[in-house]
Amino acid sequence: MKKIISLTINDQSHEIAVEPNITLADMLRYELALTGTKKGCDTGDCGACTVIMDGDVVNSCLVLAIQANGSVIETIEGLSTDEGLSPLQEAFVEKGAIQCGFCSPGIIMSAKNLLDKNPNPTEDQIREGVSGNLCRCTGYQKIFEAIESQRS
Amino acid sequence: MLLPMFEFHEPLSIEEALELKKKLGQNARILAGGTDLLVHLKKKLVKTDNLISLSRIKALSLITEQKDSIFIGACATMAQISRSPVIAKKFTALKSGCDNLGNHLIRNRATIGGNACNASPAGDTLPALLIYDSVALLESYGKKREIPIADFFTGPGKSCIQPDEILTGFRLPIPTDHSGAHYIQLGKRKSSEINVVNVASFLEYDPGTKKVITTRIALGSVAATPIRAARAEAALLGQAPEEASFFAAAEMARREDCRPIDDFRGTAGYRQAMVGVLTKRTLATAYERAKGA
Ligand SMILES: Cc1cc2nc3c(=O)[nH]c(=O)nc-3n(C[C@H](O)[C@H](O)[C@H](O)COP(=O)(O)OP(=O)(O)OC[C@H]3O[C@@H](n4cnc5c(N)ncnc54)[C@H](O)[C@@H]3O)c2cc1C
Ligand code: FES
Ligand code: FES
Repeated sequence: MKKIISLTINDQSHEIAVEPNITLADMLRYELALTGTKKGCDTGDCGACTVIMDGDVVNSCLVLAIQANGSVIETIEGLSTDEGLSPLQEAFVEKGAIQCGFCSPGIIMSAKNLLDKNPNPTEDQIREGVSGNLCRCTGYQKIFEAIESQRS
Repeated sequence: MLLPMFEFHEPLSIEEALELKKKLGQNARILAGGTDLLVHLKKKLVKTDNLISLSRIKALSLITEQKDSIFIGACATMAQISRSPVIAKKFTALKSGCDNLGNHLIRNRATIGGNACNASPAGDTLPALLIYDSVALLESYGKKREIPIADFFTGPGKSCIQPDEILTGFRLPIPTDHSGAHYIQLGKRKSSEINVVNVASFLEYDPGTKKVITTRIALGSVAATPIRAARAEAALLGQAPEEASFFAAAEMARREDCRPIDDFRGTAGYRQAMVGVLTKRTLATAYERAKGA
């Protein structure tokens, strides 16, 4: 049976009726057309579905939409403004940290959350901060450099 | 991957959860962080008509310090336990377990109760729960029981928890002065991997006689459940805390206590050898910490 949940996504409030067996990733993608959040594995292994939920990054494929009732969610769509991409997104483009781009929304959300909590992470903290996000293309070095360039 | 249909229940108190569990019994599964259960449901390894989510029950995610013990709620997450000052100060081996489970995303959801109830022989918090002599707190409708962690695990994926019961948390006695502990997990890569071998050790020595007066050693991924290394512990007890006795205990753990199998992550022989290495290393670090404590 569908239940109505209310939550804030990228500063906008939503009320939406969801089946209990729909994940947050599927709700974002299929109910709200926020397809920036990707699904690679759907089992918590790849991090493509990373979003920020109440200040912490989570695998949205392992959260039920109904569990996000009352939560504040940030997705990749919330990063850019009318002026264009956010500085972190620009850095990913500049440094060549994006190839096919499938991992990028997830990695950028992990990186954003890391920098929000710790504006000046060490090398190890950067690597740890994206350790749940797999990338098939870049070999990670350029991703590392893009995040590093955004340290304050 | 589609999740099967189920009814979703979100009790706000332990009492309400226990009532639901009583009513629904075998037909309901507890949902904590979901990092095991949602995967198992998607892969159709588990079936259920009802999910009872514990995440809105505040009492279950508390970490509180009592006079000579701490309580860790079953729904405390890895990230939350890692951040706790009392854990960082007095339960270093548990902190390492929590710091190393999965990856930064999983640790924001995965709970200690879920790790215990999932009862994987490789579970990252389980050796630490064993060496700190934790007590599992179980509740069913109108009834409570306490189970020493050494009796909690009954087989791979199996624990002594009954269908009408909920694990509410763990009580861990605060370690005494002159004691220390350490945990090491060995996997094929650092993040997001299931352990090949994981070992935790605890020791307490008498600064007067310079002898080991308490020790607990726990081995993961080398038997059907995480286990205590009873022979290794017996070999170390009463000995001087030094390299030779750590080595002798490690030899006992390697030869007598562990019963590993071959699988795609490693051979039984390799696991056995690593039990020796990690037992010795964790004991040496535990002693260094005991001296500093
Ligand atoms: C990508 C990935 C990497 C992982 N890496 C690791 C790792 O390195 N080390 C490791 O140990 N694990 C790892 N895991 C497994 C998992 O994250 C942990 O076992 C975690 O602690 C499970 O906790 P949970 O809260 O998510 O449990 P859930 O999935 O919610 O529950 C697990 C089981 O326990 C039961 N249960 C949960 N809480 C209770 C309770 N309070 N009372 C009664 N029953 C309960 C549930 O019904 C279910 O059967 C990984 C998982 C993923 C997806
Ligand atoms: S899609 Fe969620 S972790 Fe891969
Ligand atoms: S850019 Fe292709 S997966 Fe990372």
